[in-house]
Formats: sequence, structure tokens, C-alpha cells
Amino acid sequence: MKLLKNLLKSPMFVIGASLFLLTLLIALVGPLFYKITMARVGAQYDAPTAKFILGMDDLGRDYVSLLLLGLRSSLFVGFLAGVIATTIGTLIGIYGGFRGGVVDDILNMVTNLFVVIPSFVVLILISASFSEGRSLTLIGVIIGMTTWTWSARAVRAQSAALKSKDHISLAKLNGDNTLRVLLIHILPYIFSYVFMVFILQVSSGILSEAAISMIGLGPMDTVSLGTILNQAKNTGALGDGIWWAFIPATVVITLIVFALYLINTSMEGVFNPRLRK
Amino acid sequence: MLKQYPTFRFVLMRAGWYFLTFLVAVTINFFLPRLGKNNPVDIIMGKAATGLSNEDARKKEEKYLQEFGLAKVGKDGQLLRDAEGKPVKAGRLEQFGNYIKMCLMGDLGTSFQKYPKKVVDVIKEAVPWTIALQLPTILFGWIVGNVLGALAAYRRGVFDRVFFPLALILSSFPFFVFGMLLVYYFAVVLPWFPAMGGYANSIMPSFSTAFFSSVAYHYVLPFFSIFLILAGGQAIGMRSMGIYELGTDYIKYAKWLGLKEGKVLTYLFRNAMLPQITGLALSLGTMIGGALITEMIFSYPGLGMAMLTAIQNNDYPMIQGCTLIVTVSVLIANFTVDILIGFLDPRVKAGLQMGKGV
Amino acid sequence: MKCVTVLKRLVVGAALLGLVSCGGGKDSGGGETAGGGSESGFARGKTLYLAGSQWGDPNTFNPLAESWQAAWPVNDKFNLMYETILSYNSLDGKFEPLLGTLVSRDNDKVVVDLNPNAKWSDGQPVTSADVKFVFELGRRFPGAATAFAIDFISGIKVETIDGGVERLSFMVDKTKRNNPLVILDHLQAIRIVPAHVFEKLLADNGNDLGAVQKLKIDKDPVISGPYNIEHYSNERIVIRRRGDYWGNEALYGGKLPAPEYIIHPIYKNNDHFAIALQKGDIDASQTFMPRIWLKKKDGVSTWYDDAPYFVPGAMPMLLINTTKAPLNDPQFRRAMAAAISYADIKELAVSGYAPDVQPGLIMNQGLEGKYFNAEDAKEFGVTCDPENAKKILAAAGYKSVFKSDGSLDYMTDKAGNKLPTMSITVPAGWSDWEAMVKIAEKGFRAAGMDIREGPVDASLYWPALPSGNFDLIMHKPAASVTPSLPWNRFESVMSSRNWVPVGGDNKMNENQGRYNSPKDKGYNPKVDELLKKIPTLEKEEDLAVAYRELNRIFMKDQPSIPLCYLPEQFYEFSSKAWTNWPTSANPYAPPLLPMVGASTKILWGLQPAK
Repeated sequence: MKLLKNLLKSPMFVIGASLFLLTLLIALVGPLFYKITMARVGAQYDAPTAKFILGMDDLGRDYVSLLLLGLRSSLFVGFLAGVIATTIGTLIGIYGGFRGGVVDDILNMVTNLFVVIPSFVVLILISASFSEGRSLTLIGVIIGMTTWTWSARAVRAQSAALKSKDHISLAKLNGDNTLRVLLIHILPYIFSYVFMVFILQVSSGILSEAAISMIGLGPMDTVSLGTILNQAKNTGALGDGIWWAFIPATVVITLIVFALYLINTSMEGVFNPRLRK
Repeated sequence: MLKQYPTFRFVLMRAGWYFLTFLVAVTINFFLPRLGKNNPVDIIMGKAATGLSNEDARKKEEKYLQEFGLAKVGKDGQLLRDAEGKPVKAGRLEQFGNYIKMCLMGDLGTSFQKYPKKVVDVIKEAVPWTIALQLPTILFGWIVGNVLGALAAYRRGVFDRVFFPLALILSSFPFFVFGMLLVYYFAVVLPWFPAMGGYANSIMPSFSTAFFSSVAYHYVLPFFSIFLILAGGQAIGMRSMGIYELGTDYIKYAKWLGLKEGKVLTYLFRNAMLPQITGLALSLGTMIGGALITEMIFSYPGLGMAMLTAIQNNDYPMIQGCTLIVTVSVLIANFTVDILIGFLDPRVKAGLQMGKGV
Repeated sequence: MKCVTVLKRLVVGAALLGLVSCGGGKDSGGGETAGGGSESGFARGKTLYLAGSQWGDPNTFNPLAESWQAAWPVNDKFNLMYETILSYNSLDGKFEPLLGTLVSRDNDKVVVDLNPNAKWSDGQPVTSADVKFVFELGRRFPGAATAFAIDFISGIKVETIDGGVERLSFMVDKTKRNNPLVILDHLQAIRIVPAHVFEKLLADNGNDLGAVQKLKIDKDPVISGPYNIEHYSNERIVIRRRGDYWGNEALYGGKLPAPEYIIHPIYKNNDHFAIALQKGDIDASQTFMPRIWLKKKDGVSTWYDDAPYFVPGAMPMLLINTTKAPLNDPQFRRAMAAAISYADIKELAVSGYAPDVQPGLIMNQGLEGKYFNAEDAKEFGVTCDPENAKKILAAAGYKSVFKSDGSLDYMTDKAGNKLPTMSITVPAGWSDWEAMVKIAEKGFRAAGMDIREGPVDASLYWPALPSGNFDLIMHKPAASVTPSLPWNRFESVMSSRNWVPVGGDNKMNENQGRYNSPKDKGYNPKVDELLKKIPTLEKEEDLAVAYRELNRIFMKDQPSIPLCYLPEQFYEFSSKAWTNWPTSANPYAPPLLPMVGASTKILWGLQPAK
């Protein structure tokens, strides 16, 4: 509660959180107020008009509809990847950092293994064995499974630093088992840190999806902000100066990520008393 | 036995773990592409056999199987056949054995898709471009970003208020769109820079000023497409770390002790740098594969595209070669950082001196 | 404080770097866009830039390598280094002389005279031995790239006529394919290689073709064509004019081709071709560039000044797996054909670069236009008519169930069983094909057919095609305009010659939709009879009758659905550096890049811009 109060004092947090909530709100309830249509409503790359304020795509579809769907997909991918990456990263990091020794070394090795195998290799190889191809969910899962490594490193450092704290040693002396120590004595201390890691993982998930789509490995079952951009690239929209094919989708991605960064940074400030001076 | 040389022991232990990681990674990279049911020869035949009679197509397929070492060959140099007359496919373990043997002899095999090009040659031609594009960009972006970030953390005030949101927005920008916008404005609308390629088509690659100035000219847009966004991201990270460290106990303690501001700052930044160095190692390690999108946007030479097409076509030798390069570079970068941090981080150092592993 | 000093140093460094790069740019930038060039480069006024025929790294220049392995200009049927016997003019259907001249063709043999002046770059004459070497390589090595030729040619008879001219008779193999038409295809596609060079290479390599195919043949190769390899890297391929090319005297009245160098840059992104052409960095390209009318102001030109801009030649289509229910029902297939908006495909997927698609497998355009029968198309063909699609489906007993929001839920067959969702296999990222499939999907669903787009990676697309592992699949059979069109297209879609069922390792390299199974009760022997007969017909009226009959069967059975017409090759050029490109107003060569078939002569027609 106090935390939230402090956070609300930070203008950065207020801007970031409202921006993010706004995009979330648009994604969730937007379709109730704006009739999404995937039908053809104009010619190829028709310029924006009063009725269709962001113009048409290469198939003559309304860009506002596409962006609404894309926003939903991108947020979904971001959350999915963020949850998976943060969970795996935190578990591996916290345990490795706390235990140390050979266990830590093995977990480190696993982490390094996930760094050396490029995620698009995994993506192509795994999606080949799914009959429905690359679904949005599959992409989210794979992003999560391949980007947890840095959360693991970050959390591990925190966990290792806490290990030698007095109350932990005391708990260990009391004969608490590892799980209990981890859950009761370490996790709460680094919870705020984990949350910040989560926020960054969400934003990197959104950017990763867009990057993956740009390579032509995007979701095959739905529209995402990445596939909108890729489609615009493939159909040569930029060369013909069709800005509405690029700019709105880019602005949406940038705004979401920017909002998340703002939240993250403001939280850092709050957890760090010196910043409130 | 090595207890009396803790540092040496530490380095050795780390090296051992990294070597083990390397072995596991090579094994995974070998078997992963082979798990799918897609045979690379099927992909090639789909493209090459259109219109051929079944008999001609079968002969062609067998020729590829033999050439690529995917079928067993008898002592007479002919394909071994099963009861139905079909060629006997080489087992995965057998292929793995051959692969290891060839690797030890410094031969990464011949690409299927780029046949008859040697994988080693593909790597030799592409990697210098990738390094030339990525290494200076990453290093430069990292240094500039960190210096600016550290300044923002320490100075705060107006500088921070202007600079920080700017860096934040920059690093939120999808870098590939940024690259494409650079091409559009600075190569198409204002034709100041070339839109693509590593050097002008009208010039022969040679050790001449004309060639190198052409390379430099073509370098500008790709460089800035990565540099600005990278620097922004690094600055934010450094600023956060700096501020984080400012709030830690040891800094408060140092201040309470009355240490000089400069001395405190040195400690502060040295510790704040640690995660940043880890980040640098990661980006340096993944730069070989990470250049793919930049290559696509600028038609820039490099290994990324070779790797993508290899994976899309199940070109086993090429995938193995590329992933080997990536594995080696990532692991070397990480190993170096591990060791470096071992000597820089007082906490790790303390652990070392007590004779414990990290 | 230290940080500030470091920062200052860095800012100065950055500024310096910027200056250096910009400065360098101004020097070489001139060379790139305007004329000039430096002593180590290729002057713009002497260099022709062509693009779009080589996408990946150049790997080998071995003419015995498979076409997909070899690099430009050794791949495909380009005539710059190695030459064919004849070149085919896809505008008028005539064979133009190259290494040889067409004398006659009948159902027993195709006769050509070799040009006695034709020479290899090492001074040796091009002889029947060279021709026999490459055409009969398949007899010695079963997996050779040209092994398909021996299915059609039983032997090559050589006689020497007046003036020491070698007359070659390519004998039609009556026991195998009995198809003189495809021999003509081969004569304008198979490039002749120097037998004396390759026989020696074979001897040096233990008579192992595989070992010879591994050689790159990229250093001073012995060739017969007008240009030879000068330099190549992963960024571009440079070829240089040969002053002593035999054809300058023998074919072009002593004239040299205009460009001294031809450079083929290798781009990794589809966008770059349009940008480079607009900037004048390349002179011609064969890639799909959407909305070409927006690029005209930057000097991008095409064959026609206005729509459709290009000359149609190929037919991208949906192949249907005719072994699966309900796709095995011709009525269902006809309903599919009636449900698609071809106008949308033409406008949105291919920028209107083609005339309207007609029912059937014969275009109402170009050389094959004479076989097109408008009455039949009207009587037997289906055109876009969603109401008709619904009517056909209802008459055949199919019922569609729609959800409350109007979208399709599922479909049932005659017996009331729910039909599974079918998918259209299309390589992900092939944007024009994906757009076609999206539009088709929309039409199918609106008419009540439960069919969805099924994009897959190319690594799954290619194996799926011959194995029949699909419901519907995008394909462009008979992609290049050859003398055997439209027979070739029918053969690719309807022939049961190699029919094998779907399953196991079974593959079919034509009729991948498994239409007209010979083991089936409903097998229509007429199709294979006609496909066998047409290549041997010599009278135009017989051909017209046979094609008409075949096309009727196609329209009734609808084994595939042609979606639009596209050019064999997108031919876009810029006159900034070179002028006198052929156009519809100046049609001295077909609309193809100056290296393909009869369009190679463009090189002698180009003039440097002033």
C-alpha cells in the first residue's frame, strides 16, 4: 500500500502506468466500440480518410482493425513470454545463487546452453513439427523459453548476495529446508526486483515478436504488430512512401515498450530511497 | 592439490565448465535439426525434380543422398540397398561420429544448399563483415551509452530529465523499423547515403582507398541503425545500476565513514559496471547471429542470412558450422567476463580468497 | 570528472567518424550514381547492372551442376557464358539461330545445322561432339543434370553437308516418350559445354561425375558465349565482354555487345530492387515490384506503358488433392472455382499486372491464345460467381452451418457428416502468393466451404508438393514460356503417366494433386491419350481440336484452379544509363532480361545514355 502510494508520487510511474493501462484497455474493450472488420473495404493502400483514419493495408483492409487485433496479439505474446521467462529465470537464478557450488555450476551451464542456441533456430525447428505451424502461442512460449537467461543471471546475482545475510544464515541454522528458505526468506526480498525483471521481459517479448515476424517467422494464425510491419515491408510500402503502413504500428510498439520502461524505471526509483531526494 | 593457488584453480574450474558446456552445445546443435522428419534432400527434390519422371527423380535423389553422406555406401563405392532396393540411410550416431571426426580435422563439411561450397569458406567470407559491422557498433554504443548513463545517474537534474526520456524512447523503438526509416529518408528521399550493400558495385574489393572509403560510406546507415538504439538501452541500464548502487549499504557506509566523493564514485561505478559487462559479453557473443535483420534491411554481407537459409532448408553441415561459430564466440565472451568479474567483484574475490568456488 | 573527459573524447571521436564517412561518401558517391568510376572500378557508362536472377551466394559456375546450384549466368537458360543450340522467341514463337539453326521438325526427328563459325573461347570449334556430350550425359551417368533428355532422344545422327556444316538429327525416342515437342524445349534450354574440356576433367577424376560437379569452374572457363566471368563475391557477380566472341561476326554483323561489363548485384530484400532501379543503381530487374505506376516518375519502365504493364506467360494456381473427400468431387472443385474473386486477386495480389484470368488452362493471350475457345469457356468453365458456387454446393448435397455472427462454422456432406477444415498450403513470406490465398480463403468461406490458409515454411512446402501431403497447395507449373506451351501446362496438371497414390515415399513430379487415377473406376483415358497425342500433331487445326477437347475436360473436372496470369519474368528497366530497351512500341526482342533466349540480343541493341 505504502509502496503504491510512493509509486503514485512518481510522475514517471503515473505516465507509464496510465499509458500502459490505456493500451491494455484499448486492446480489451476497443473491439466493443470499434467494429473490427477483416473484409475488404477499399483499394490497396488507400490513404487515410475521415472514416478510416489510418487507411488501408495491401489487401484493402482497415488498418485500425488490424492494429487493434495486432495490439491484442502483441500484448498476449509479451505477457506469455514474460511469465514464462520470469518464472524459469527466477527459479533457476534464485536456486543457483542460493545453493552455489556444483548445482550452481550446472544451472549456469544450462543457462549458457540456452544462450548459445539462437532462438530462431529453435523456432523454425519446433514449428516444423506442429501441424498448425507457428501459432502466436507457440511463438510466445518459444520467446519465453529462450529469453529467460538474462533474468536468471540477474536474479542469481541478487540471490547470491542475499545468501550471506544474517537472517538467512539463521534460518538455515534453524534447520529450515531449502525450499522454505527460498520462499520465505529470499523471494520476498527480491520480489520487487523480480517484478521489474518481469516488466522488462514483457517488453522484450513484444519487441522479439516483432523482430521474429520481420524475419518472416511470425505467427501464421493471426495478425500481430510484427506481421503488420512485415507485410508492409514485403509489399514494398516504404519505398512508395506509404507511411500509414509503418508508422502507426511502430508507434504502438514503441509506446507499449516505452510505458513498460517508464514503470520499470520509476519502480527502481521507489525501491531506491536516494532517488526520492 | 591446487588449493594453494585459488586463482589458478578458479580459472581452471571455470574453463572446465565452459568446455563441458561447449561439448553439450555441439551435441545439441547436431541433433536438434535432425529431430524433425524433414530430410534436406526432400526439400531439394521438391524444387529440382519438377517434371522429371519417377525413375529420373529417384536416381537424382540417390545421387544427393550419396553426395551428402546421408546414405550408407559400400566398399565398391555404390549405395548399400535394402531388400526393396531402397538406399540404406545413414544412422544419426554414425553421422555424428563422422561430424566429430571431420571437426577434429578442421573440416566442417560441404553445404547442401550452397553445394559444392565448403562450410568453412562460407564462414570465412561472411564472418569478417559481420564482425566489422557489429563489433565497433556494439563497443561504441556500449561505451557511449554507459558513460551517458553513468552521468545521468550521478548528475541527475536537467541533464537527466532531457537525456533520460530520449534514451528511453530510443531503446523502445523497434530497431529494424528504425533501420528501414533510415534507408527511406537518407537513401531514398534524401539520397545522401547508399541504401544497401557493403560497398559500391562499381568497385573491386581491394586494398585501395577507393574501396575502403566506399565501405565506410556504406557503413554509415547500418552503423547508426544499431548504434543509437543500443546506446540508448545501455544508458538506461547503466543509469539504473548506478542509482541502484547509490542506494546500497556499502555506499552509505562509505559516505558515513567520510570517504571522498571521488573514491565513493569509483566504487560505485566499478560495481555498477559488472552487470553491464555481462551484457556486453552477451551482445558480443550473439552478434554473429544477431546481425540477420540488419543484413536483410541493408543487403549487407554477413553470416546471419546464411544461417537463416541453412535452417530453413535443413542444410545440416551449414547449421552445424554456424551454430559452432556462435557457440564458440558466446562461450569465449562469457568465459572472459566470468574471469574478469572474478577479479573485479569484491564479493566474488572474497569468495575466491576463502578458497571457495563461485 | 573522469567520465566527462571520456565523454568529450567520445563525442569528438564520433564527429570525426561521421566526417570521415561523409567525406569518403562524396568521393565514391559520384561514381555510384553518375558516370565516371575510378581506376579500380567499372565505369558506369560501360557497365550494365542486371538484378534478380541470383539471390543467394554464388556457389559454383560449373555448367554440369544442377540449375539450382549454379550461379548466374550459368543457372537457368541464360546464354551469356554457355549457349543453347537455338533461342526461342516467346513473342512470335520462332526459333532464332544460336549455336545452330533449326532446319526441320517432324515426328521422327528434329534437325538442326550447327553454325560452323561457332567457337569455344580456347579457339576450338563447337562440334557435334560437344552437343552429344551434354545431351547424352545421362546415358553414362544416371544422375546427371541433363539426364532427362535421354527419355526423349534416342540418338543424335550426325552428317556433314555442304561447306563442312554438321547437320544433327535428334531422333525422337518412340519407345519412351515419343515427344518431339519437348525436344524443341531442350534445344532452347540445354546449354552446350566443351566436351574436350569436360572429358579431360572426367578422366582426371576417375570418370566420377560427382567429383567433376564439385569443381567450381570459375577461373577462365572455356565458354562459347559473349561474356566471361571476371570476378564474383557474395555481393555481386561481374562478367566481362569477350572481344573474340564468335557470334559478333556470325550473328551480329561484326558488332560488339554494348556493355563491356555486366554486373549482377545480390540483394537480400525484395524492396532493394525497386529502390536500386529508381536510384539508377541497376538498369533492369526481373523481380515483382508492386504498384509500378508509382515508380514511373523515377524512370522505372515496363513493356507496356499502362496496365497490365507486362506480358503474361505463367499461371499460378491452386492444386487440389483430388484423392481426399470432398475435394475428390468435381462439383465441389467447380464450386471452389466459382467462389474466388479473381478481380481482387488481380488488383490486390499482383498490382493488376495481368489480363483477366479465363476458365481453363489455356490463356486467351499470346501464342497460345489461338487455342483458346471463348464459347467453351462460357459453356463449361466457371467464373467468379459466389451465388453459383452456393448453388453448385447445394445441388451436390453440401450444407453449410454459419455462426450467429455470420462466419462459417462447418460444412456437412451429402450423408450429413461434418467435413474437416481443409487448408491451403502456401510458403510463408511469399507475399503475392499469400495474398492470393487470403483472397481465395475469403471467397471459400463466404460460399460456405470450410477452407483456411495454411502457411508453412518453405522447408515444408517443397516436400509437401510431390508427396501429395496437402489439401490444396499453391503452385506455378510450367513457369517459363517454352515451345511446348500450353501442352506442358496440361501435362504438369493432368498427366497420370507417373500416377502413384499418396503415402510412403511416393512422389509425383507432375499432377501432384493425383487427378485421374488409372486405377480408378472413373479413370478418363482420354486425358492421357490427348496428352500423348498433342506433341505429335503437326497441323494447326488438329492441335486446336485436341487442345479444345483437353481444356473442356479440365473445365469440367477442375483438377486445379488457376488464380491469375503473370509474366514469365517481370521485366522492369530504367533508361538512365542505357537506352533502346525493347518495349511494346519497339518489340525487337521479347520482354525478358538481356540474357534469356532471344532476348540476349538486347545487349547488341542497347545504347549508352547521353
